[in-house]
Amino acid sequence: MFSLKMLIRTWRGGELGLILWSLILAVAVVTSVSLLAERIERALTQESSSFLAADLVVRSSKEAPSAWLEEALSKNIETAKIMSFSSIVFFGDDLHLASIKAVQPNYPLRGSIKRSTTPFSRDPALIEAVSYGPEKGNVWVDARLLPLLDISLGDSIDLGDTSLKVTQILVEEPDGSSYSFVGARVLMNYADIPDSGVIQPGSRVTYRYLMASDDQAAFESYVIWLKSQLDIHDRLITPDEAQASIANTMDKGRRFLLLAGSIGVVLAGIALALASHHFASGQTKQVALLKSWGISARRVRFLYAQQSLWMGLLGSLAGLLVGYAFHHILLFVVSEWLPITLPSAGSRPWVIGLATGLICLAGFTLPALWHLPAQSPLAVLRQDIVSKPVNSLVRGGLGVVAIAGLLLWYSNNIAVSMAILAGFGLTAIASVVAGLVLLRLGMQYGQRLGSVWRLALANLWRRKTQSLIQIVGFSGAIALLMIMVIVRTSLIDQWRFQLADDAPNHFLVNVAPFELDGVRNLVTDNDLNTAGWYAMVRGRMTEINGKPITDVQKDSHESFRRELNLSWTTVLPEGNKVTKGQWWDTIDLDEFSAQSTAGEIIAPVSLEDELAGELGLVLGDRITFSVGGLRFEAEMVGTRSLNWDNMTPNFYFLFPEGLLEEYPRTSMTSLYIPPEKKLLVNDILRQFPTVQVIELDKIIDRIRTIVSQVSRGLEVMTLLILGCGVLVMFAAVSLSMTERLQESAILRTLGSSRRLILGIQLIEFSGLGLMAGLLASAGAELSVAMLQHFMFDLPLSLHPWLWVVGPLSGALLVGSLGVAYSRKAVVQPPLEVLRAL
Amino acid sequence: MIEVKNVCKQVSTTEGELQILDDINLFVADGETIAIVGPSGSGKSTLLGILAGLDTPSCGSVVLNGQDITQMDEEGRASVRAHNVGFVFQSFHLLPGLTALENVALPLELNGDREALKTARNYLERVGLAHRVTHYPRQLSGGEQQRVAVARAFACKPTILFADEPTGNLDTGTGEIINNLLFDLNREEGTTLVLVTHEMNLAARCNTTLQLQAGRQMTPAENSKDTTEKEN
Repeated sequence: MFSLKMLIRTWRGGELGLILWSLILAVAVVTSVSLLAERIERALTQESSSFLAADLVVRSSKEAPSAWLEEALSKNIETAKIMSFSSIVFFGDDLHLASIKAVQPNYPLRGSIKRSTTPFSRDPALIEAVSYGPEKGNVWVDARLLPLLDISLGDSIDLGDTSLKVTQILVEEPDGSSYSFVGARVLMNYADIPDSGVIQPGSRVTYRYLMASDDQAAFESYVIWLKSQLDIHDRLITPDEAQASIANTMDKGRRFLLLAGSIGVVLAGIALALASHHFASGQTKQVALLKSWGISARRVRFLYAQQSLWMGLLGSLAGLLVGYAFHHILLFVVSEWLPITLPSAGSRPWVIGLATGLICLAGFTLPALWHLPAQSPLAVLRQDIVSKPVNSLVRGGLGVVAIAGLLLWYSNNIAVSMAILAGFGLTAIASVVAGLVLLRLGMQYGQRLGSVWRLALANLWRRKTQSLIQIVGFSGAIALLMIMVIVRTSLIDQWRFQLADDAPNHFLVNVAPFELDGVRNLVTDNDLNTAGWYAMVRGRMTEINGKPITDVQKDSHESFRRELNLSWTTVLPEGNKVTKGQWWDTIDLDEFSAQSTAGEIIAPVSLEDELAGELGLVLGDRITFSVGGLRFEAEMVGTRSLNWDNMTPNFYFLFPEGLLEEYPRTSMTSLYIPPEKKLLVNDILRQFPTVQVIELDKIIDRIRTIVSQVSRGLEVMTLLILGCGVLVMFAAVSLSMTERLQESAILRTLGSSRRLILGIQLIEFSGLGLMAGLLASAGAELSVAMLQHFMFDLPLSLHPWLWVVGPLSGALLVGSLGVAYSRKAVVQPPLEVLRAL
Repeated sequence: MIEVKNVCKQVSTTEGELQILDDINLFVADGETIAIVGPSGSGKSTLLGILAGLDTPSCGSVVLNGQDITQMDEEGRASVRAHNVGFVFQSFHLLPGLTALENVALPLELNGDREALKTARNYLERVGLAHRVTHYPRQLSGGEQQRVAVARAFACKPTILFADEPTGNLDTGTGEIINNLLFDLNREEGTTLVLVTHEMNLAARCNTTLQLQAGRQMTPAENSKDTTEKEN
């Protein structure tokens, strides 16, 4: 406990402030972001389950064998059945081809159904979330069914032989948004199906079996069992597949926050390294004194190691508390991000937080203190005897290893870690090289300037080791802060722009050629714009390289089993990128037509790259398609990546123009329908009954909320990061302060004016800040380019303002901080300053 | 007891070997006082460092209380310092974050003394600082800081006390108070006192004076009483 006592005394002496604050901030940043990230992660898993309304779903075209349910029952796994089909509903003379969904009373197993008694209401106060479906005899319906059938709540509609009372407006189904449906939704009780008599042998019905359990182990063993029972008609759907676009957005949001957190960790690490360096140089006298009293080197090491451990533990604990408090502030800001209450975090964030403190200490503080025990006791008599610190390359290396490990562990993302490390590492190396050149140039040209400039620039050169460390510290801090600002503004803006306010929120599909003009006119009459019309034909793959599709292939991917949408275009659609092979502009299309034989054409086809991989197709493979009984062959000439975020139609299979036009085709488009024109959907469905409308407005609203909440979360994070940046600045300035104050006091004693002394300090610090700012601009530009390219999939863009703001803010910030710090030298009598040093 | 035989010290410089001390011999009996005098750069502090075991000579031997410290490694010398030696420095060397009481108690605490604070308080009283125990070094005058340093040195009950220009940073009046304290405590505790000083009148109060000139011993270390007689 003696070491704790010593630590407290050192703290009282004011020597530990910077180290402790850096440590507390490092731990607080990591803890707060990890806590939030983990809770979001857990919520995301829950959310994805709620998109399925279960933990797992089996979709099938037939009723499930009773063994499935018995096995589930024996393992205590909850199940619910859903049956969906299209059927006509009547009210008097009005009728509508509705999309019927019959559910058991315990539906949904995860998530909730949103219902209301006010049609078309978007007011949250009028919407109620429930975790059960309608009672027997009742139905909950889509609001647009009311005007379609001219009914109100309380009326009864007819379905087959039964009459069902409309009791609620169905606002949102947890698993509803991801499926397209033809008509207005009618949610009914499963038990009403037999009475209705609408389901006959051969009826086109889709069954869904929902399963959920809190007992992870039992559930996993059930899933393994179940998989062995499935046949070609059954498809297992996991939460990940349920709602890709929202999961994607959340994932991107999480990465933004992680990135901000990682920047905080690096900054706090730099502050800790600088503060430790400063602390260690202040401890040499004390160590010499201890050793003159006969305290052995081993005992000195032990004392400092124990003190460091105490400092690590206490600093980390304080950091955990600050981090916990801060995570609540973050949570408050992003509370609307997820509509459900966030589940509490596990132990991981706390472990990461605590480990951050200890790793930072081991990587930055211990190496800085390592040489202290070797300090000669003779230093009590002779001030010039100072033991040599551990080589700065070794110390730097240890710090980088600590930070890299921490970043990787923390972000679990190599791209983030590498971008930040590369940005900072290159800035540091460039700082040392370019810093030396700039300092040298400054000294040379300074000779020609006035005495203040000459003195100041010569001082910087004389203290070049210290100056370089300061430049590295300043430039690192400025670069990381600028990265943070760019992430906060331009990256988020670019992300947001992809989902503009008028981003398409409805898809119109299955528009027959004879309906196309009518639908087009209806859209234009309502002053709406489409994202362009795409023609498509429905085709099935029958052979690969001349060999029929095998059962194994059919089992492996549903694209081998079902009809696919094939489309054509001349230009590469927006958001598509060629990842392998070629696009039409580099292909001789005539050569392909030349190969066409009577009745069979050979066409080039471009596939979405992930799908090509899943299907095991490579460039040059020949795929035979069957379209309405007609066959044609295509050669895979290239793959593309698609952008799912911009809500425009995307096609897995694309052909050049002029090859598929003769096959029976339909058209599709996407468009933005503002909420006040939502009833247009009814008009389209009434006038063109075969057209399918896919409504994405709810999903888009959700994505938009996430984007705006992430931006606000980042704002709060920026505060923490700024705190870290200021700490680095303080640590770097205080590094040379003792020497500077001593020199200033001597100059003052010799009668130098206040102006001269402050002028020297202003030029020195502004000079350092200017150089650091310039180098930081380069580092930030590089890091952001890497982040845009590797992490956020955004187009590269340059930031010219960086090159102005970087050097200017560097000179201004560092200059004013340095002068403020040095004011003591001119305000207090020189003797007092010298005595206090 | 201190016994020094043929001690020399050389260091390598860019201009070749530099002889800092050359063939120093002296003997100081228990409880005696010795002053090492000489102009700046004559090697006084280097000799003090070697005598106290803070530095090693290039040749010769130093025996402290019967132990030849020149034959020991740093750990051995540290152990000898821990049990036999105390210091008073020209620049006080008080730790700024510790109060006067804690500064005096620190070496005792490091040696595991449970009565450290009590002993420290007692010594602060003896140097006349009973009312300043909770003050930090920055709140004390130079003379008071040196008195704290003297209390710290004697509190460990060293058999030999080394003082490196203890009044070099103080005015004459304050310096006199410190000198009196050093000699009074030395007498009361029976400590051997080795003093490096510029002041001849302070040297005159010691039993023996060793005069150095460019690293060489000008006279055999002799009893200052004899020196006085010669001067007369």
